[in-house]
Amino acid sequence: MSAEEGVDRERGLALNEDWAATIAGLVLLALVLARIVPGWLVP
Amino acid sequence: MTEVQTRQRSQVLWAAGGVAVVVVLAALTRYLEQQVPVFAKGTWLGGVAKSVEYPVYAILLGLLGNAVLTGLGFRDRLAAGFRTEFFIKTGLVLLGASINFAVIVKAAGPAIAQAFLLITLVFGFTWWLGGKLGIDAKLRALLASAVSICGVSAAIAAAGAVQARREQLAYTASMVIIFALPSIFLLPLAVDALNLPTAVAGAWIGGNIDTTAAVSAAGAIVGEEALQIATIVKTTQNALLGVVAVALTAYFALKVERTGEAKVSGRALWERFPKFVLGFLAASVVATVFLESGGDKTLITTVNDLRTLFLILAFVSIGLEFRVAPLREAGWRPIGVFASATVFNLLVGLGLASVLFAGFSSS
Repeated sequence: MSAEEGVDRERGLALNEDWAATIAGLVLLALVLARIVPGWLVP
Repeated sequence: MTEVQTRQRSQVLWAAGGVAVVVVLAALTRYLEQQVPVFAKGTWLGGVAKSVEYPVYAILLGLLGNAVLTGLGFRDRLAAGFRTEFFIKTGLVLLGASINFAVIVKAAGPAIAQAFLLITLVFGFTWWLGGKLGIDAKLRALLASAVSICGVSAAIAAAGAVQARREQLAYTASMVIIFALPSIFLLPLAVDALNLPTAVAGAWIGGNIDTTAAVSAAGAIVGEEALQIATIVKTTQNALLGVVAVALTAYFALKVERTGEAKVSGRALWERFPKFVLGFLAASVVATVFLESGGDKTLITTVNDLRTLFLILAFVSIGLEFRVAPLREAGWRPIGVFASATVFNLLVGLGLASVLFAGFSSS
C-alpha cells in the first residue's frame, strides 16, 4: 500500500465512523425514548 | 479459502478481540467507579476515592492494558478494535440529549467567536513557527490543523487535503494523544487553582485540548455543566474542520504544489463536515421537544447512563492507543512546534474563554 493510499484509507475509515456513530447514537436515543431499551439494561 | 480471505478473516477476528478488550476494561472501570468509594468509606482514602471520576479509572486501566498487551506482543494486532473516534462520537450524540437546545443556541454566539479566533490565531502561530524551524509544509499543515481544530480527526482531514505521507499522519496522531493525556488531568487542576467559573472552565477545556475524547474526559472531571459547555465549544470547532480542510486543499494546489487545480466546492465542504455534529444537534432537539411535551425525565437519565458507557469505552481506548515510539523517529523540532503551539493555545484560549463566557449561565 502506498503512503497516499494509506492516508486515503484512514480518511475513508474516519468518514465511515462519523456516519456510523451518528446513526448509532440517534438509534439508541430513539430506542430508549420508545422504551424498547429499558433502564435496567444499561449498567 | 484463498490466502487473502484467510488474512482478512484473521484481521476481523483480531479486531473483534480488540473490541472485547475495550468492553472488559470498560466493565472493570464501571465496577471500580461504583465500588471503590464503598470499600474506602470510613478509611483515610474515603475522601479521595469519592472524588475520583470515571475518566481517571478508564484511562489508567487502558494504559495498564496497553502495557500488558505490548508486553505479550498482542497490542498492534488488537489495535483495530480500539475505536476511540466511533465511541466518543456516539457518546457525544447521546450527550446532545442532555442539553436543552436553548442552551446550545445561547452558547452558539460565544462558541463560534471563540472557535473562529482560536483556530485562526493558533493555526497561524503553528504554521509560522513551523516555517521558522524549517519543517516540511505538509507536516506543518498537519500539526497546525491538529493543534488548532480537533486533534486526530483534523490531522486526518488535513492529510487528505495536502496529500501528506502516512508516517506524517501517524506521527501527528501520536503527538496529539501524548499531549492530550496529561492535559486531561492538568486542566481540571488548573481550573481549581485559578478558581474559574464553570462555563469559562468548560470553554477553556473545549478550546484547548486537541482531541475531542480528551475534552470530554477533562470536562467530565470538572463537572456536568463544564462537560456540556466544553462539548458545545469543541463541537463548534469540529464543525469548522471542513472549511479549514478545503482552504488547505486550495492553498496547496495553488501556492505550494502549483498544480493550478483547486477542488473548492460545496461537495468537498460537505464531505469533510463531521456528521456527528448533526447527530448531536438532532439529539438535543429531540430530547428538548420530548421533555417540553411532558415526556418522562427518567428516560433521559437512561440515555445519560448510555452516554457515560460510550465515553468510558472511548477513554479506555485512549489509554490502549497511547504510543511513544513514533516521537523518537521524528526528532525534536516538530515536538518543539507542537509544545509551543499548545502553550500558545492554552494562554489565548484562557483569555478568550474568560472574555466570551464571562457571566454565562446554562440555566
